[in-house]
Amino acid sequence: MITVNNLKKQYKDAVVLDVESLEIPKSECFGLVGNNGAGKTTLFRIMLDLVRATTGHVMLDTVDVSKNEDWKGRVGAYLDEHMLLSYLTPDEYFEALRKIHQLSEEDLKLHIQKFEELFNGEIIGKKKYIRDLSKGNLKKVGIAAAMIGNPEVVMLDEPFENLDPSSQVRLKKLILQEKEGSQITFLISSHDLNHVTDICDRIVLLEKGKIIRDLHDKSTMVEDLNTYFGT
Amino acid sequence: MVLQLVKLELLKTMRSSSFAKSALVAVFLGFLAVILLSYVLILGFFLKEVIEKGFESTDAYATLTGALIYFYLFEFMYRYFVQKLPVMELERFLHLPIRKSSIIHFLLGRSFISPLTLIAPLLFLPFAFKEIGPRFGDWAAWSWAACVVLSSWSLHWLMLWFKQKFEDSFIGLGVVFAVLLLGAGSSYYGWFNLGDFFKPLFDWSLVSVFPVILLLVFFIALHRLAYTYYRNNAYLEDLAEEENLRFVNQDLGIFNRFGLAGQLANLEWKLIVRHKKSRTYLMLAGFFLLYGLIFYTNPQYQTEEGFSHMFIFVGTFITSIFMLQYGQLFLSWNSSSFDFFLNRRGGVESLIKGKYLLFVVTSVFCLLVSVPYVYFGWDILLIHLATFIFNMGVVIHLVIYMSLWKPKPMDLNKGAMFNYEGVGIAQFLMMIPIFIGPYIVYFPFALLINQYAGLIALSVVGMIGILFFPYLSNIAVQKVLKNRYEISSSFRQEL
Repeated sequence: MITVNNLKKQYKDAVVLDVESLEIPKSECFGLVGNNGAGKTTLFRIMLDLVRATTGHVMLDTVDVSKNEDWKGRVGAYLDEHMLLSYLTPDEYFEALRKIHQLSEEDLKLHIQKFEELFNGEIIGKKKYIRDLSKGNLKKVGIAAAMIGNPEVVMLDEPFENLDPSSQVRLKKLILQEKEGSQITFLISSHDLNHVTDICDRIVLLEKGKIIRDLHDKSTMVEDLNTYFGT
Repeated sequence: MVLQLVKLELLKTMRSSSFAKSALVAVFLGFLAVILLSYVLILGFFLKEVIEKGFESTDAYATLTGALIYFYLFEFMYRYFVQKLPVMELERFLHLPIRKSSIIHFLLGRSFISPLTLIAPLLFLPFAFKEIGPRFGDWAAWSWAACVVLSSWSLHWLMLWFKQKFEDSFIGLGVVFAVLLLGAGSSYYGWFNLGDFFKPLFDWSLVSVFPVILLLVFFIALHRLAYTYYRNNAYLEDLAEEENLRFVNQDLGIFNRFGLAGQLANLEWKLIVRHKKSRTYLMLAGFFLLYGLIFYTNPQYQTEEGFSHMFIFVGTFITSIFMLQYGQLFLSWNSSSFDFFLNRRGGVESLIKGKYLLFVVTSVFCLLVSVPYVYFGWDILLIHLATFIFNMGVVIHLVIYMSLWKPKPMDLNKGAMFNYEGVGIAQFLMMIPIFIGPYIVYFPFALLINQYAGLIALSVVGMIGILFFPYLSNIAVQKVLKNRYEISSSFRQEL
């Protein structure tokens, strides 16, 4: 699904990302971990063509993401709150996205229904602008927005951050459900090792922009990561 | 899709916490635009007569066509100062399945809907049908008018590209100043007649369709230039930014003597030097220092006795342009870290005192640098001194009080490319009341007694203001403290 080749991002002398090759197959749940400043968000941003790579490229199936924009309908992402239109209410925001993705009202309704439990009645139908929402609720809106329009790939940066414990569990359940049901490829970065090892089939560890571990075995994953992070 | 974008932008404006202020500015600007455009139209209708009488010309067409290039040079200048760059929060749309090309086309298209676009047609179309039509035929009139209007519209795209690419650099200001000199120099001093270079092109348009096609191609090419530049930079990051300003990246030692306020003035100075938008204002201050060269040497403003009243205006500009422009966004500069100041003991008070300090220091600097203008006469030095004192005593408080009404949040850290408004008409608009101030004090004395009495009046009023400085500046501090919850919540919301 996603192929990364010789990707490098450099700000002046500092190399912040240096990935020789990375292959993410379809419907994999791909976890990305690493210390602060390891390059997780930068990798996501380059994959989304929000930031230019210094060298190398990211291929989605067979298209270079920086050359063509047709893939944007197939990839959903929520990296930070700047991706939301903060002056709308959540309902209006979903409505705007519905028009952009050219979905029917029924599609949107079905989509929102899936999030009913996660939203916990605090988001839909409230007359509150997105900018006034709490950080956790912002995140929920962003995640729901990222999954609108049946994307094949969904990228989430720190999805568990700021969520309350019960919401974290609900989100995990939702991701697993979507993965089973719609064959979505998830790319998730997280600092929460428990959650990320629970849902992901594969974990890649970044250090100073380089991939230093690529873990596939669920049984030893947790231990490996715990040794690395010293937890 | 474009309709959707239009709707979203509208909602954004209406729900902004500074909507009342923006709306008022917009209404006033709209009103101003209608008045000015109707003047332009009236001038267009009587352009023939104006040229024949004013320039004692028998051939209005030849005179006008010969002078067209000056119109374009002038247009370049006003577009540079007035034309706004398209602004959009790009990061909110880039990840969605909307084509970058449609976003950019939307932005460019929106920027084209502006009163500036109408000036050339309103001014020259009536002339084409009153003068050219009867003399050379209807077809020639159309062809000529198309050429004139297309040239003006080409400038629109050129300016979008030019301002975005060069505004933060000395090259940009250099080009603008060169254009200014080219326009003023060649006509006032008669170095060479620029008009003759371009006249043949417009003459040709009377008999041939080629100039129209040529200019249409030029128009499209410049549109492409702007489009490609914006399209290629539609990323979250800036283009490789060279830090060539390292030498000013240091503390200004002089501030250290003023305690906490001085420290905050120092921080503010760093803020100015390290952000593109504020740096532009600093550059503009440099530019306006040269402004005097145009006015003080201009024979039009030379008088037998004393000096032209206009010079008060010029003096105000030269000695405090930075304060006038930067001060309008008084708290907006700190909107992303306003909570930081609220959180310190005496933070807000020191922030405001620090800003006062910064304004005083930059104005003193401008005053000192402008001393060589004394070459054009002692009067100039006196004018600068009087306007400086008046600015420090009175205008500085006016600027700050006005800016404290519903301050608009501004995020300096966002990628500059599409968030960069640069200097637009709104900044100049806010200055109008500030400019009237000095004349209210100056004119009664200047007209009743003499001009020097006017200057003395300015200085005396300014001095009184300076004496009451602690009291006057405290009003601003109290105002911010009183509204601090409102201000900080509006800043938090929209960033």
